[in-house]
Amino acid sequence: MTTEVVGMTALPVGASRPRRAPLGRLLRSELRWVFRRPRTLVGIGLLGLAPIVIGVATLFVTSGVTGDPEQGPPITALGGSALTLPVISLSMLLLFLLPLVASIAAADAIAGESASGTLRGLLVAPVGRLRLLAVKMVGVMAVITAAVLVITVVAVVTGLILHGTSGLVTLSGTTLSLGESLGRVTVTVGWVLLQLWAVAAIALAVSACTEHPLVVLSTVIGGLIVIGILGSLPVLDWLQPFLLSDNWTAGADVLRDPVYTGDMGTSALRALCYLVIGYSLAVARMATKDS
Amino acid sequence: MAQAAPAPVALAARTRGLRKLYRGTVAVDHVDLDVPQGSVLGMLGPNGSGKTTTIRMLLGLTVPTAGTVELLGVPMPEQAEVALPEVGALVEGPGFHSFLSGRDNLLRLAAAEPMLAGKAIPGAVEDALARVRLTDAADRRFRGYSLGMKQRLGLAAALLVPRRLVVLDEPTNGLDPAGTREVREVIGQLHAAGTTVLVSSHLLAEVEATCTHVAVLHRGTVVAQGELATLLEAGSPALVVSTPDGDKAVEALRDKRIPARSLPDGLQVDLTTTTAPEVVAILVGAGVAVHEVRKQRTGLEELFARLTESGDAQPDVDGQEEGWL
Amino acid sequence: MNTKRMALSAAAAGTAAGVVGLVLVALPAGASAAPPNLPAISPEALVQSVLSAKVPAMSGSVSFDADLGLPIPGLPSGDKPIRVFTDGTGKAKLLLPTGPAEKSIVEDGKDVWIWNSQDQTVTKIDGGADKKFHGGMSEGMLADPQNAAATLVSEMRKDSNVTVDGTGWVADRSVYELVLTPKPTERTLLREVRVAVDSQLRVPLQLEVFANGQSDPAVKVGFTEFAPGAQDPKLFTFTPPPGAKVTERSGNDLPKPEEAKGLIDQLQLKVVGHGWDTVLVGKVPAGVLGATPQNGGDKHGFDPMQLIKSMGTKVQGPFGSGVAIKASVGTILIAADGRVAIGAVPQQVLVEALGK
Repeated sequence: MTTEVVGMTALPVGASRPRRAPLGRLLRSELRWVFRRPRTLVGIGLLGLAPIVIGVATLFVTSGVTGDPEQGPPITALGGSALTLPVISLSMLLLFLLPLVASIAAADAIAGESASGTLRGLLVAPVGRLRLLAVKMVGVMAVITAAVLVITVVAVVTGLILHGTSGLVTLSGTTLSLGESLGRVTVTVGWVLLQLWAVAAIALAVSACTEHPLVVLSTVIGGLIVIGILGSLPVLDWLQPFLLSDNWTAGADVLRDPVYTGDMGTSALRALCYLVIGYSLAVARMATKDS
Repeated sequence: MAQAAPAPVALAARTRGLRKLYRGTVAVDHVDLDVPQGSVLGMLGPNGSGKTTTIRMLLGLTVPTAGTVELLGVPMPEQAEVALPEVGALVEGPGFHSFLSGRDNLLRLAAAEPMLAGKAIPGAVEDALARVRLTDAADRRFRGYSLGMKQRLGLAAALLVPRRLVVLDEPTNGLDPAGTREVREVIGQLHAAGTTVLVSSHLLAEVEATCTHVAVLHRGTVVAQGELATLLEAGSPALVVSTPDGDKAVEALRDKRIPARSLPDGLQVDLTTTTAPEVVAILVGAGVAVHEVRKQRTGLEELFARLTESGDAQPDVDGQEEGWL
Repeated sequence: MNTKRMALSAAAAGTAAGVVGLVLVALPAGASAAPPNLPAISPEALVQSVLSAKVPAMSGSVSFDADLGLPIPGLPSGDKPIRVFTDGTGKAKLLLPTGPAEKSIVEDGKDVWIWNSQDQTVTKIDGGADKKFHGGMSEGMLADPQNAAATLVSEMRKDSNVTVDGTGWVADRSVYELVLTPKPTERTLLREVRVAVDSQLRVPLQLEVFANGQSDPAVKVGFTEFAPGAQDPKLFTFTPPPGAKVTERSGNDLPKPEEAKGLIDQLQLKVVGHGWDTVLVGKVPAGVLGATPQNGGDKHGFDPMQLIKSMGTKVQGPFGSGVAIKASVGTILIAADGRVAIGAVPQQVLVEALGK
């Protein structure tokens, strides 16, 4: 009835070495995909408006409060200058909107591809699972970086337009040059990126566990809210130094002169730990996942 | 089982003792599947019989709970990066991004193909699009594609690179008859070019139309496999005739030395020595009122009909009767 | 399976490393480090060296922790430490975080500048640096453990057992632990005062006050960072930012000793007892507590006496009646006639002091 089959007939395969598409090509393809996604573009665009809103609002608030005509133009108390506006914008957006963007990117990266059935296509191509995870991580980091850079550039330009190069005053009352100011803004940018990449690594691990992007979003954002509540309970003081979002206001410490590095350093190291943990869990999940 | 020692057949894919549990539920068990090289193997089974799970394990997407998988001679999923570059697949429907055009979707997949050199990518994508006749719609967003276009784009993705094995999971799902014909044409071309094709379907008609080999799955197990012709010819051919004049008909046929026997509302005619038109001509000539004539199911038909008609499988209404009688 | 097993091992190792790192980041550095091995020193020699030590050029961070069992307004709060810079010759800079804002005090060798980022104001005190400005600032005292500890040591030697109780680490520097415990005759709520003295520089780096029955210090002021070394001279200059409102005050505007004496006279301050059971007795000027039936509190409907009553307990004694507020390190007794007694002592000692 059936054709008899003899033993373990191994078919000679042309080359028995693993063959892989070049990593650079995969990365380019991923970045092209990520930055053509309408959601990514809209999200980054909206975040880019935030510094303008903050800058203009601060202008009204400060002129309302200290707008004494005899004193000339008020120097900006909060988000006015090309120094403070980017730092304050990033600090404010780090509390919710930037982690949201990071989570959405991570949710789309694996859970989203899984839901649309495109993950299978990549795995069958084949792209090795760990290579795919690395490519995905780079893609998510790229979205976050783009968002942060857009916010920063818009904030610096807005600050310069509203206040020129004067008024680059630190919280400690010293005045900085534009170069020094930009240097400090860069420190905050790097620090904010590290925090967000850590969020992304955790989100990517969650993303590898589900086919539903919304699950990733609600887990990560819900987690951050719960952590925020836990962090504010005096009973759980001991827990605070373990929480990723503890010290998330430390980005504004570059506005102190000299820069206060204590909290930023601690939270940067902590973010690095979360990054390693999140990525490791994502690796474990990707290696064993059924797709 | 064949009596004489047959020549060894090289296998493009092979599973032994394959078993997969999903949260305690057995999806497939004891699957020993052989996909001979150069064959077009139809994996036939009702929905939920374990076809897709088996295919996913073949491609290394899912790790078997037990058993072994060999794909193009290497174990899966361990050596996926050796075998998969030469395997094209369309699994569980076409998966594409709705915000990208058909061409951009293919370009993205092509970038991941190890067998494609960077410069060859645009050409390969255009060829694949042309092959499934999507060139005109290539710049439209995937979101706006019809079901058939989506399915064809999935097929194009499997054909981006010359393959040694192409795995197609329910490729004609949602296609109109014209689309179905196109898929059959593509399968025919692949077969002619020496590519092994593994195609799953819940329709015997489709398998019969395109395949050289068949494997029947039922409740997660292979219940029959082999060459299509062999399986179809098992059992002698016969014709079932509905008529109120059963006895008169049997008499008329026996006069012509054609074996026949009475049934409650008609008769069954053995076709070993004659053909259906001849039988009908004799009956009409004898003044028998013929209400209906149909071929009796052979071994494979009988088997598959039993499987699809049993309670645990939903017979698909879509094109079920096409190609019969 | 090989790749998979390797991936899983790497993932497990990575997760473990991350968790260990997290714990290391979260736990205070040196908390579990073995105490340093330092040559033995007598308490007398240590105290002597502290009293004669000179604060070198340094930068550091000071944090303040209080567990008094009472909310006390005006104490520095928040996570950010106070930062201190000095060039060792009297120029200094203090950065006091006030929530998200900052107060900056610069002593440039001639004048004192006070910058408040909240309202963007600058106060310049001409010649303030010559007048030893520190005295006017409670925050300055807290940020200056050198002075605080040195004063305490010399005062307490009369009534205390002074010992050197081993060594330890503060702000990553090896320290001697100078411990003062009250002599048995002292009637105090305090168990011991612990001063950590830098083993090389002989500068007090940390002051801890322990109350009876508490294992954690009731008050802890100390450096969390301490780095001796030359400082950037630019730190000790201050130019008011453009547009800031500058108020100039002469150093002569500061309270002079005679003015301070007048204030003390007005408060009728006197010291009862000595050593650990010193009690400060005074009289609150009429109206401050607003407890008169006529006004029934201030215009916002806030009656300070009500608050005091809600925090304290009623006390009767030879002095009359009053309310006592107890904290872990001390007690305040406010008599109905406006007299107030305060000390690091039990309530009974205050009652006696008021009776004198």
